[in-house]
Amino acid sequence: MPETPNPEVVTLFALVANRYGDRLTTEQLDEIKRMVEGQVEAARALRAVRLSNADEPFQHFAAYRSDASTPDRSALASPLENERLGSKGAPSPEGRGIRP
Amino acid sequence: MSADLLFKPVRELGELVRTRQLSPVTLTELCLDRLERLGPKYNAVVTITRARALSQARRAEGEITAGRYRGALHGIPYGAKDLLATAGTPTTWGAAPYREQRFDFDATVIGKLEDAGAVLCAKLAMIELAGGMGYRQPTASFTGPCINPWDTGVWTGGSSSGSGAAVAAGLVPFAIGSETWGSILSPAGYCGLAGLRPTYGRVSRHGAMALCWTLDKLGPLALTADDCGLVLEAIAGADSADPTASERPYRYEVTDRGGFRFGVIPDVTDGCEEAVVANFRRSLDELAKIGTVEEVTLPDLPYEQITRTILQVEAVGAFEDLIESGGIAELTAPEDRFTPYAREAILAQDYLKAVRLRGVMAREIDRVISRFDALVAPGRINEAPRLGQEFRSAIRATAKDVMGAVGNGAGLPAVCVSNGVGARGLPTSLQFMGRAWEENRVLDAARAYQSLTDWHTRHPKLD
Repeated sequence: MPETPNPEVVTLFALVANRYGDRLTTEQLDEIKRMVEGQVEAARALRAVRLSNADEPFQHFAAYRSDASTPDRSALASPLENERLGSKGAPSPEGRGIRP
Repeated sequence: MSADLLFKPVRELGELVRTRQLSPVTLTELCLDRLERLGPKYNAVVTITRARALSQARRAEGEITAGRYRGALHGIPYGAKDLLATAGTPTTWGAAPYREQRFDFDATVIGKLEDAGAVLCAKLAMIELAGGMGYRQPTASFTGPCINPWDTGVWTGGSSSGSGAAVAAGLVPFAIGSETWGSILSPAGYCGLAGLRPTYGRVSRHGAMALCWTLDKLGPLALTADDCGLVLEAIAGADSADPTASERPYRYEVTDRGGFRFGVIPDVTDGCEEAVVANFRRSLDELAKIGTVEEVTLPDLPYEQITRTILQVEAVGAFEDLIESGGIAELTAPEDRFTPYAREAILAQDYLKAVRLRGVMAREIDRVISRFDALVAPGRINEAPRLGQEFRSAIRATAKDVMGAVGNGAGLPAVCVSNGVGARGLPTSLQFMGRAWEENRVLDAARAYQSLTDWHTRHPKLD
């Protein structure tokens, strides 16, 4: 008897197929479906761990000021700001190697 | 000039240079000759930086002659993984869509090595986009599969593939690689080298291709753990261009200590090849001569799922433009042309859960590892895979790698050294993973292990 497809996998796969299906072959879509199954499996393991309200994302955030004396991630100028500042601005994200 | 010279550790070469028994120009010419002659045989090189190398070598020679010696790397040639920006030469990220890419500045690591007097001889081959698109086999680079100097029928490992091949083949005395999950330890382990993954934030990533902003680390591959320490001292430090680069000072200190405390996760050899398990057990016997070895159980957490989820989401974020535009169709590995699309189906809530669990993981592992100098484990689960063969990987969930998941997810340092040969006569490896910012302790341990064994003195026979 064939296994009932996991509705979450079906929905998430449909999202990918709808968005990119026109550039993918049937074989590639089959492989993507298997990958989505793996991702849903991984998500299930993550969801199974209970966390408290105080368990924050382990990622630093700091409020931004352009004249901050100590460098932090928030001190990186945005692309829009770079455009406004022209060559006087902070290095572009490309120049910093932060983004491809 | 004998090629045997290039199988001497950096520390010995540095002493020969310092005492003017060896000319940096002569040493550099030897490397350039071998990179040109042997580099193509191993698909190890993308660009040879001959003019820059000779200019740096002549400058080093002049300074040393004038009594201005800068330190152990002064006049020592090296190669850099081709994801580090270098002014004046292409920086291809190993990927066809970027083969003409150029930057007008040097990555901080390149600049720091220049300040130390090291000589950049080559940009080295790598897996396209540092393997972040989900590659499954060695032919995932526009320069072809990187060939292992120990056996031309097998792979070097990746994604710092050329860095592994170039040091193992004696093309350069050391190389810089990068690791997001496994990309330094893999080529070091498969090529019989020492490879150091520093603590996240120890080394500036400025000018390095971003694959995963919170996972990428830069570090050395060399013949010995001691050499890795020498290189780390030169490249570590704060950098205003990379806010994650820590201001914690780092100085490599060689201590001749014993009384180490080693921890071993009970099921850490699950899924390893038989010879890897046997060599690991032998290594534990060696380690028992310099310290205690005890089993340690990690708290039950989905380590691999945490790190994998973060990696997958950050990697598609970093290459959003390439993926959205369909530019990934130009990548070399067929699987890299579609795998990233699947990752767009990871839900934000699940990603956020992984980032929250990462904090739990970091705190739990610190609590466990703080009782030890290092957790030890096989560096790789197997000998180097054959060319043309799919390999198993924890990133794709086809292999287990709790040490890699914890180490990279929590940003912990690890050093990998050769600890024997397997059934096919290829190197196997041993890794020492330490507490955050404790590179010197893992290097102490690895150096002590290497003082008891001679695996690091064995080199491939090159035709």
